[in-house]
Amino acid sequence: MDIYLPIAEVSVNAGILVLLGAVVGFISGLFGIGGGFLMTPILLWMGIPPVVAVASEANHVAASSASSVISYSRKRQVDFRMGGVLAAGGAVGALLGVEVFRWLRLMGQADLVVSLSYLIFLGLIGGLMLVESVGSVLRQRRGQPPAKRRDRRPVWLYGLPFKVRFPRSRLYISVIPPIILGVFVGILSAIMGVGGGFILVPAMVYILRMPAGVVVGTSLFQIIITTSLASILQAGRNQSVDIVLATLLLLGGVLGAQFGARASSRFRAEELRALLGLIVLIMGLQMGLVLFITPEDPFILVGSGK
Amino acid sequence: MVTPALPPPAIVAPEPGPTVSAALTDANVRVTSAFSGAQIVLYGAVFDPETRPSDVVVIVRGPDQPIRIARKVRVAGLWVNSRPVVFEGAPGFYMAASSRPLTEIASFSTLRRLGAGIDHLPMNAPEEERIETRYGVRDVVVSRLGGDYLEWRRAVIRLKEKASLYATDHEGVRFVDRGLFRAEIDLPTSAPIGEYQTEIILFQDGEPVSRRARTITVEKAGLERWLFLFANERPWMYGIVSVLIALTSGWLASVVFRRR
Repeated sequence: MDIYLPIAEVSVNAGILVLLGAVVGFISGLFGIGGGFLMTPILLWMGIPPVVAVASEANHVAASSASSVISYSRKRQVDFRMGGVLAAGGAVGALLGVEVFRWLRLMGQADLVVSLSYLIFLGLIGGLMLVESVGSVLRQRRGQPPAKRRDRRPVWLYGLPFKVRFPRSRLYISVIPPIILGVFVGILSAIMGVGGGFILVPAMVYILRMPAGVVVGTSLFQIIITTSLASILQAGRNQSVDIVLATLLLLGGVLGAQFGARASSRFRAEELRALLGLIVLIMGLQMGLVLFITPEDPFILVGSGK
Repeated sequence: MVTPALPPPAIVAPEPGPTVSAALTDANVRVTSAFSGAQIVLYGAVFDPETRPSDVVVIVRGPDQPIRIARKVRVAGLWVNSRPVVFEGAPGFYMAASSRPLTEIASFSTLRRLGAGIDHLPMNAPEEERIETRYGVRDVVVSRLGGDYLEWRRAVIRLKEKASLYATDHEGVRFVDRGLFRAEIDLPTSAPIGEYQTEIILFQDGEPVSRRARTITVEKAGLERWLFLFANERPWMYGIVSVLIALTSGWLASVVFRRR
């Protein structure tokens, strides 16, 4: 059934949107990520204007993250204090990001920056995840012991002022690194229409050295706050949230996320990470491809008045 | 949604000289959630006491919409957008249908004067222009685009045609009976909201002899309209409501699944 979206002003198939929401929601629950990095490009390919896709997707990510965070919190896998600090940074980042995106759109460079961000961030992180997790899967197959994690935490993390105790993460570190991380992810969430879990999760593991058990839940918690805020800001400043689009996506999304979260216990963490790395890498390359191939038409309409 | 409503045939008082008359099957297009474009049929008649060869041109002009267009340029191996050029005065929808190719119907200057045909659309890029004195002539408008202006303009038209927003149809006006003609207006899903000025021009011997104007209104209706107004008039409230919907449904799903 085709449905006309009031803000995007295009007609799309409602069934496909619900299905897409469910598939991306499943992946989101499976890996404990928002899934925005998958959904936003798909929406763009469907012909949804980039501004609307990015803004409505923030809304959808908030829903699927809310759907899975509750189960993580029941298992005491959410560090609310760390999530709060990250979200404070995320709020500042989202504010900045919405303004940056507005300006980029006026300069006609929004498409370029979106493609470039996908290529750089997804390509880099996907590649790293793939290499790291394939390495550990291979080691396991060969019966070698897993590579020793460097337990020595980086000195700079401890040398900084404003130290705070994070009991659930068993950390006593400065709030500056998590805040900077939060700002960075907030900007990305406004520009790329993603939650930023694919950056947060590795950053929490490798930079903040948080215990693996609380990483996903905490990342989801911070994503809910950041994307909710980004969504309200996009609606308020740019009038670009399509509530019909977001609702169709989240109908499938919240259900898919639940099934995904259940399925996740059947896989090994390394295999999941390898698969996620592969998906992230492919998505980044696919979005970045447009920068390298010679365009069919050298001219492009960059959003009419709106 | 198109509700076929044929107005009663117009009774035209006998006038000296030829006249043209026309009616639309639907002057009001409602954009609802089921909207997927619309087709409007225009019927018309040529009243001419003598039987001189007549040509009819139908021009539909949607609301003006500034056009932002960029050119892809290669920078360090990457294809990036140039600074966009803004064209003003161009309609968001334009259709020129005629019974014969426009160039056969009337002269270039007549068409230009009437603004009939895509080549005669007044389209300017005011931000690129400056006024100079050249060869002692004051107030000469110079475009920064220079000789490229035509290329940019052609690109605008090409891209708009690709999106079915601009169309030229040399056989779009068909005479179905002596003096009776019809034309079809296809509005794509992306047709802008607003008033569409439809002009029906009767040409004889290369001169416009009679003109009629009709208006088509394209407007959002029902839930679509309500949501659109909500999003634009109370954007912050709209944003908060959409986030509440998202969070509530996420929470509901997790509650429902926990019970199972």
